[in-house]
Amino acid sequence: MFSIFKKLSWFFKENWKRYSVAIFLLTIVGILDVIPPKLVGNAIDDIHLGSMSWDVLSKYLWLLAGITIISYAMTYVWMYQLFGGAFLVERKLRSNYMGHLLKMTPTFFEKNRTGDLMARATNDLKAISVTAGFGVLTLIDSSVFMLTILFTMGFLISWKLTIAAILPLPIMALLMKVYGARIHKRFTEAQDSFGDLNDKVLESIAGVRVIRAYVQERADEGRFSDMTEDVYKKNIEVAKIDSLFDPTIKVLVGLSYLIGLGYGAYLVFHQSITLGQLVSFNVYLGMLIWPMFAIGELINIMQRGNASLDRVQETLDYVQDVKDPDHPQSVDTPENVSFEEVDFQYPSSQVKNLTNLKVKIGKGHTLGVVGKTGSGKTTFIKQLLREYPEGSGSLSIAGVPIKDLTLEQVRSWIGYVPQDHVLFSRTVKENILFGRHDADETDLEQAIELADFKKDLEMLPDGLSTLVGEKGVALSGGQKQRISIARALIKNPEILILDDSLSAVDAKTEAKIIENIRNEREGKTTIITTHRLSAVQHADWIIVLEDGKVVEEGVHGTLLENDGWYKEQFDRQQVEDSSLEEVGV
Amino acid sequence: MKVGRRLVDYALLYKKIIIAALLMLTVSVAAELAGPFIAKKMIDDHILGIEAAWFETEKGKDAVSYKGKWYKREQYFNSVEEKGEEVRVLQVGREFYFIPAAISFNGERKVTDGKMIITKGEEFETYPAQKLSGDELLDFYNPEIPKIIKLLAFYFGLLVVASFFQYGQRFYLQKAANRVIQKMRDDIFQHIQKLPIRYFDNLPAGKVVARITNDTEAIRDLYVTVLSTFFTSTIYIIGIYIALFILDVKLAAICLILIPILVIWTYLYRIYASKYNHIIRSKVSDINAMINESIQGMNIIQAFSREKQTSGEFEELNGTHYKYQNKLLSLNSMTSHNLVGVLRNITFVAFIWYFGGGSIGVGSVVTLGVLYAFVDYINRLFQPVTGIVNQLANLEQALVAGERVFSLLDEDGTQVADDKMSRYQGNVSFEHVFFGYKENEYVLKDITFEANQGETVALVGHTGSGKSSIMNLLFRFYDANEGKIMIDGQDIKDIPYQTIREHMGIVLQDPYLFTGTIASNVSLDDPRISRETVEGALKAVGAEKVFKNLGKGYDEPVIEKGSTLSSGQRQLISFARALAFNPAILILDEATSSIDTETEAVIQEAMEVLKKGRTTFIIAHRLSTIKNADQILVLDRGEIVEKGNHDELMKNGGRYFQMYQLQQGSSSNLAG
Repeated sequence: MFSIFKKLSWFFKENWKRYSVAIFLLTIVGILDVIPPKLVGNAIDDIHLGSMSWDVLSKYLWLLAGITIISYAMTYVWMYQLFGGAFLVERKLRSNYMGHLLKMTPTFFEKNRTGDLMARATNDLKAISVTAGFGVLTLIDSSVFMLTILFTMGFLISWKLTIAAILPLPIMALLMKVYGARIHKRFTEAQDSFGDLNDKVLESIAGVRVIRAYVQERADEGRFSDMTEDVYKKNIEVAKIDSLFDPTIKVLVGLSYLIGLGYGAYLVFHQSITLGQLVSFNVYLGMLIWPMFAIGELINIMQRGNASLDRVQETLDYVQDVKDPDHPQSVDTPENVSFEEVDFQYPSSQVKNLTNLKVKIGKGHTLGVVGKTGSGKTTFIKQLLREYPEGSGSLSIAGVPIKDLTLEQVRSWIGYVPQDHVLFSRTVKENILFGRHDADETDLEQAIELADFKKDLEMLPDGLSTLVGEKGVALSGGQKQRISIARALIKNPEILILDDSLSAVDAKTEAKIIENIRNEREGKTTIITTHRLSAVQHADWIIVLEDGKVVEEGVHGTLLENDGWYKEQFDRQQVEDSSLEEVGV
Repeated sequence: MKVGRRLVDYALLYKKIIIAALLMLTVSVAAELAGPFIAKKMIDDHILGIEAAWFETEKGKDAVSYKGKWYKREQYFNSVEEKGEEVRVLQVGREFYFIPAAISFNGERKVTDGKMIITKGEEFETYPAQKLSGDELLDFYNPEIPKIIKLLAFYFGLLVVASFFQYGQRFYLQKAANRVIQKMRDDIFQHIQKLPIRYFDNLPAGKVVARITNDTEAIRDLYVTVLSTFFTSTIYIIGIYIALFILDVKLAAICLILIPILVIWTYLYRIYASKYNHIIRSKVSDINAMINESIQGMNIIQAFSREKQTSGEFEELNGTHYKYQNKLLSLNSMTSHNLVGVLRNITFVAFIWYFGGGSIGVGSVVTLGVLYAFVDYINRLFQPVTGIVNQLANLEQALVAGERVFSLLDEDGTQVADDKMSRYQGNVSFEHVFFGYKENEYVLKDITFEANQGETVALVGHTGSGKSSIMNLLFRFYDANEGKIMIDGQDIKDIPYQTIREHMGIVLQDPYLFTGTIASNVSLDDPRISRETVEGALKAVGAEKVFKNLGKGYDEPVIEKGSTLSSGQRQLISFARALAFNPAILILDEATSSIDTETEAVIQEAMEVLKKGRTTFIIAHRLSTIKNADQILVLDRGEIVEKGNHDELMKNGGRYFQMYQLQQGSSSNLAG
């Protein structure tokens, strides 16, 4: 039940000072708070007895003023420290959470949906934060204050009576345990379904054009309202238990009261305690009410925090799919890249996605990768990017197996232009500089020049400072691709990877970019995957993939002689062009 | 307080539940208040009551026999009964003594040699006393025991009833709150569908999500804790003021000053808290947006080793969020119950000063009872006040979150239309159309062309020449600034968005896939699209071969955005989707850019059949893919510079010819 405190113990240990101060002051203030009414009582007695004088009066006033100031200051400090701790844990966990996400590779994101991951970073962390603040407060209230009162009752009045009065406590503990377990389960379900809802909204917003285009608004509303209904039901299930806490405790506290009074009367009748003691006992019982409610509150809050912490922890505990080696080797320059009998299968796939791949790319060479849609071109590239755990066989750079190199080193060599063009919600300039932060104006200009983006820049409303919306919505596909290329080129990488990155630019632009790359990247390695053979004709080596296997390889000329798929495609593309030519002439 | 007003309006939708809950709350509070009263009555009347006056009487109900005589408590005598001699039973230490006489005053008691001495100040009095044995004492208590049991039972019964009502109250308030939140979410989501596409261009999806889910979640507390606390506290405060006025009008009137103080407090608190809350909520939304964007671009972040910078930027948001949480906390720690404590103590100071000062030399001007009662009430008055101010933070948070929710709801939108129109022929005409995404920056200038059913119209031009914008206009994702667009002679501005899109299909440059299966992404779970249609459409685009390796075929799960599929595969699914809906106007916006030539050839073939009976628009960079088009529009910087079929344009020797030459030239250069 208290496992959340155990799970967060690292945090409490780290901040033990903060919590010691907070709890200490909280206890002191608890005592101080009782004094003012008592002082007023004494003052009234003095008034009544006629013994009030200016001296006595000012003594009262100073005392009251002093206590007020001290108690105000102390309360400020404990509140600030205690709840500040709650915010701190929220912030720390969120940092860790983001840090963890940044280490995750596609396998993780395939298993976890974005909306749910977002919900964990906001909604769940909030529930944990409440536990670390209000939860601790109720813990103190229900333990320190309760024990104090119980001991006072025991020592000052009667242990027999005290124990009898707290007989309902074990029943309460039992019930709270039952409720707690249920709240935990139901709250987890509610948070899960909140995560689903988040996800649904995210998809509907991201896919808004598709929904509009196919007039699916009503259907989407229907699906969404099914989900809000589900969230509603899950929350009602939580509410059913949540609403039980207070009434249950109320009845049990009432039972305590009943026993206290009934048995107290019995003890008076049997001359074990005095009438006065019974009256005081009644007062103390009254003081026990809040701590007892605090127990219920504590359990409720803790189970919620626990459920949320479990959800967050589940993410944090996800072991990195691709990790750095324990004893990394270091390579100065990536001389050549070689695939030897590499087999690879996606975690979610039933068949091998790459089979017995053998390719050598010498330093400074260009490799062309062609093949049908779904033949494994991107999968091939992902091996180098280390997006997935390596398959069997050996993939090495400069003779060192890639798994013995740190991810950072491998990635530092690569300039990657992906298939879908992810731009961030920033200016064009910032998006390009994403490739290399310390690049100067000349580098920037050169990258733009190489990616043939210059003429577009003139058309953008604010030039380089144009904000591209989320995913660069306002730009055309071709423009996005070229920013993406500039981003990779500014890095001047040892290995440039173009993953079908010229699909949305016209032939002229494609030719220009390819030409620029050829000229500028003397001595550096380039890998190009494409459907348009024109983009790889100049390559030093071309492989043709089919179902993850190399079915043909060679240079452009030999491949044409081979009379295989490559030749077939080339002819097809040529026929299209020549047919144009005929008409044209 | 427009936000407040609207939050109330939402609550009113479920007013029956809420009123029922508040009634239950009233009953349970009343029952709760009765509890201590019963305990007090039991102690005072039936346990301490033994020390009250007893009189000798006849044997009968409530009478107690002691040493052959019968005694009865004064309060059990009725008016006609005759009272005998008065006696007392008094406790000294734990023992009880029988005093066969009345006592003239009460005070400190002492027993020596069968005599009890009662001392009060200077006075003292001596009475004969007989110690009571256990049994004798029990005899005296006997008439009380059934009464005590009855009271205890009544107390317990009341408690059980109160807890039932309390359960009902809490449950129904939560039910109402959850219903309100659900309604709010449904409303926003529906509203989202009405907003123009433009709205989404510059607002990251993560932020919209935060409004629909996180902000509404932050309102929930308003309808549970805030509402019930304000309700009960108000009742308590009114009750206590009534009691104060009955006690002493002048003093009560002075205490009324608390009300304006509370109002000013709330006002001042809101000024600061609102500022902090706005920042906190907007940071939550930024955090959401950033997590979303980072996940979308994770492979880029990692490929460019930008994890540190990214987490640095995230830390900035996280840090600002934390900073303002702490500012708000500081404000709350300075106010809330802490400041109420100070107010209470100031009241005490004033109280002592006033009465203490007034009494010096003169003695008390008000009776002791009034003073005690007054202090007691003041103490009680501050409890509900604490309750209210402790909820101010929640109230403020809900108001700020509500403001964000309502501002989204207030965005201008167009009602989603349910009107259907029969399939139009698809004769499209643009007449002098001007359009710009921003004011006075036209990306389309004076566009005029016609396309008829069965025709294929190709749009060519450099990236950014306005090809996609034309399609956006046709789809009414945006509306033209000037000019007219007609379908079958009807201005499309006169046809609701949904009605006109009903018969259009589009394959976008960035195909978007939803979580589901390949089949569900083709049919979009629209009941009108049968499984056969889905399979037929997929077959037509040559998907059979491409997806042959998937274990579950077309029922293979597709995850978020189809990220396990390649761009080409996504384009195929998106293409099949457009075909399945059998549109009168089909738009292909670079629809096959990532698809290999072989599969593309399959699609081309299929298109020959498919384009019959519909108007097809193709946007392409590769002139080879559009050579068969009936009409080719060549665009440059938003203007149509050439128009005609391939042959005509080639003969013209204009821009198209040049573009074509360049493409040819470039490929032959490379080939050579």
